[in-house]
Amino acid sequence: MSDDGDKGPDRGPATPPHAGMPGAIPPKSEFKGPLKPLAYLDRGLAWFEAFILSAGVLLMATNSVANVVGRFGFGRSFPATEEINQFLVILITFAGIGYAARQGRHIRMSAIYDQFSDRWRKVLMVVIALITAAVMFVLAWYSFSYVMSVYNTGRIAPATRLPVYMMLVWLPVGFVVTGIQYVLTAVANISRPDVYISASVIDSYEDSETPV
Amino acid sequence: LDIKYALEEAIHEVQGVYATQFKEYIEANSDHTVTIFPFGTLGESADTTELAQMGGIEMVTASPGFTGSLIPELNVFNLPYVLPEDTDVLAEFFRSSPTIHETLAGRYNDQGFEMLSMYPEGEVVMTTKQPVESPDDLAGVNFRVMTSPILVSTYEAFGATPTPLPWGEVFGALQLNMIQGQENPMFFVESTNMYEVTDHITFTGHNNFTTAVLANKTFFDGLSEEDQQLMRDAAWHAFEYIIEYQEGLTEASLEMILEAKPEMGVTRLTDEQREPFRQAAQQVREVYLAETGDAGAAVLEGFEADIEAARAAVAE
Amino acid sequence: MAQELATWMIVVMVGLLLLGFPMMIPLLAACFVAFFLYLPVGPEIMVQQILAGIRPSALVAVPMFILAADIITKGQSATRLIDLVMSFVGHVKGGLGIATATGCTLFGAVSGSTQATVVAIGSPMRPRMLKGGYKDSFSMALIVNASDIAMLIPPSIAMIIYGVISGTSISELFIAGVGPGLLILVLFSIYCVIYAVRNNIPTEEKASWRQRGKALVNAIWPLGFPAIIVGGIYGGVFSPTEAASVCVLYAIILEFIVFRSLKFSDIIPIAKSTGMITAVVFILVGAGAAFSWVISFQQIPQMILGALGLMDAGPTTVLIAISIAFFVGCMFVDPIVVILVLVPIFAPIVNALGIDPVLVGVIITLQVAIGSATPPFGCDIFTAIAVFKRPYLDVIKGTPPFIVILFAVSISLIMFPQIALFLRDLAFR
Ligand code: NA
Ligand code: NA
Repeated sequence: MSDDGDKGPDRGPATPPHAGMPGAIPPKSEFKGPLKPLAYLDRGLAWFEAFILSAGVLLMATNSVANVVGRFGFGRSFPATEEINQFLVILITFAGIGYAARQGRHIRMSAIYDQFSDRWRKVLMVVIALITAAVMFVLAWYSFSYVMSVYNTGRIAPATRLPVYMMLVWLPVGFVVTGIQYVLTAVANISRPDVYISASVIDSYEDSETPV
Repeated sequence: LDIKYALEEAIHEVQGVYATQFKEYIEANSDHTVTIFPFGTLGESADTTELAQMGGIEMVTASPGFTGSLIPELNVFNLPYVLPEDTDVLAEFFRSSPTIHETLAGRYNDQGFEMLSMYPEGEVVMTTKQPVESPDDLAGVNFRVMTSPILVSTYEAFGATPTPLPWGEVFGALQLNMIQGQENPMFFVESTNMYEVTDHITFTGHNNFTTAVLANKTFFDGLSEEDQQLMRDAAWHAFEYIIEYQEGLTEASLEMILEAKPEMGVTRLTDEQREPFRQAAQQVREVYLAETGDAGAAVLEGFEADIEAARAAVAE
Repeated sequence: MAQELATWMIVVMVGLLLLGFPMMIPLLAACFVAFFLYLPVGPEIMVQQILAGIRPSALVAVPMFILAADIITKGQSATRLIDLVMSFVGHVKGGLGIATATGCTLFGAVSGSTQATVVAIGSPMRPRMLKGGYKDSFSMALIVNASDIAMLIPPSIAMIIYGVISGTSISELFIAGVGPGLLILVLFSIYCVIYAVRNNIPTEEKASWRQRGKALVNAIWPLGFPAIIVGGIYGGVFSPTEAASVCVLYAIILEFIVFRSLKFSDIIPIAKSTGMITAVVFILVGAGAAFSWVISFQQIPQMILGALGLMDAGPTTVLIAISIAFFVGCMFVDPIVVILVLVPIFAPIVNALGIDPVLVGVIITLQVAIGSATPPFGCDIFTAIAVFKRPYLDVIKGTPPFIVILFAVSISLIMFPQIALFLRDLAFR
């Protein structure tokens, strides 16, 4: 058997970076001085989103496995399984988009962007972040108004008997949080020398700050 | 005026035939036009219903089976052995029932809809791998149902193992024997080739697939008196057409199926054979009543009275 | 009006895309143009459609397959599969190359994405190939292109999403992907042998049958994944979504209990990363649903198909047009976005001609996989740059022969659809 010493588990990155990501996960940076409160907000949100994400995925796995076991072990399916999973899909998606924005992990086609000099990338990133934030806030507004309209119809999910709007409140919250992340990204790019693809992930370094 | 009208079915299926009649009536008797969006073009039933509710389109066909989350009492249409098994009585019931045209129409009003019509689409039949003559024959059968608690309870009561599955997987799951049965109106069994992957059709008489034609209320209220009457006339015209169209539709679908697959088993349960299913259905009423409370009980009682009246009218 | 709207939507979408916006924004902004300037309905419908896009219960299979693959990528399954393959083919000419391609195929039987496969198989195999005398450009090109096979062999995230938005059976799509996947494996293996002979690559030591037996025993557990997915679905035991959740359970049992390669606390970061990738994919699915709603409301697909002269075309022409459109699209944009935008555009003509939607799905998946490994902007190339830390030109230098092979497979698939449909017909017809 050929063996190049590749014993044991491969501890490579579990999740490959998407197109447009710089190579290694760059070191984190923090807001300082008068922007310090932003750092607290940022960290609190990050913790919360990470909690929701892992809990949501694990609950979904548990719920789906329980349904399979129910079908084979007890000859019955649970009508609530599908509704619970739908709720978890919404939860994971809208908690996750904020978290992905924070980690700079939304999929982008950065090939052209990458050709610009650092200075122009910084400008472009401020524009991208602000427009993205604006789109998120507009969607937050309309999803709020959508949730209100569902609230007013009083729709009830048939199996869990829960009001449908309760599944949907994550939409406006998720869009607002994501919008804030992109505002922070713009602030980071304006207030500090490096180019940031998110408030805490550096895309490339200005010579003046940290060496690569 | 252009009326956008979304369906849950393809243009050649029952809802499409109804909508085409409606469109032709409107366009022949006014300058208005009707644009029909068949299934798949504007999303699923839940989406198109909501779209009509929000005023994005003017009209929608919304089956009570799907609209139960909006108006819980509509689940009465999913209950087994409530609707009359005789087609003439059934048609008369839909034509004349005050519970439908007043009580339920009012509930639709509360949700921002004007109910223009409600009509049956055909008897729901079971198609299975093994013949079904009694609930015992359904023991151990994985039976595909929509994810509705009432439907799940129904097939539990009938002795099967209800298995919710997205429609896209049903054909393959029958083929692979993951499930061994499904229910649908006859024309749908034919048009979706369900007969290719099952071997027996059973007429149990437990339900008739029903649908409602709704208009956005703000849109409807904003119409002139004449136009409102035009819409109602068109709806009644299409209603009578579809009732007539359905005479023999089940038979015609069955004929087409038997032509394509002569060895298909067809069982019409006798009144006696239906009795154990009717008995089992009683416990599903409890589920419905627990879910819908007094309002649901009133609708169920209203249905029973209206059906009696319809039966008497037809007997005359 | 529809024409003007279509033009604006395309301009906004392509413009924002090229500038490097997060890919949900070009889709959402194009919808904004429609809702604010052209449509008689408010953007609440857009929110409704985003939700409708992520509602189908079949989509739950996506996070479940990602989670299962995430768990085994961190554990030992990939290494054990590689050891198994090496013990059987290591000694033949081009053995390491064949083992890499086969490893991608076997890992692809657990994982639904090409990028995870680049990481799981590429990371351990590239150093071995370099040591074994292969050029780095060949190794990297092989890894990037062989990972395409993972998208065709079940499970496949691209196929789940295609199945959901086109209403096609995911079970049927899964089995139809096996044929083309294996065909690519065979052709790549042949190319590996030719390469090894021409470059005089030394062969590895031949493993004894005892070693092979040991490798097989070690790999028995990971081989349970294809048994669950293919066996479970085609044995009529599971729906694809159920199979996905059973895979999660199996992966947890394997890596946490049997191999003990992970601690229970490791599940938290793995679940978190699964959740994040899921969100990134699902927000695109939602935005894509809103986009496709707008274009069907305005009947834009019929207009575009008409402008391309495809409305009266025959099935072969349409399939060629679909192949080209998806291939080109994926050279620039993430595969999921391409599927979300292009499938609804081609849907009317596919339905009208009655082309088998399963065949269309396999052709699309193949093109999506090829396109994402193709310069200039195929996203697998960027994954490889990130994982192998090599410059762009080094990564793409060896790709041309592989792309030629994949083109040949594409043409064969259009000419002989049975390559894909044979197994499907065997299982389902
Ligand atoms: Na795969
Ligand atoms: Na690839």
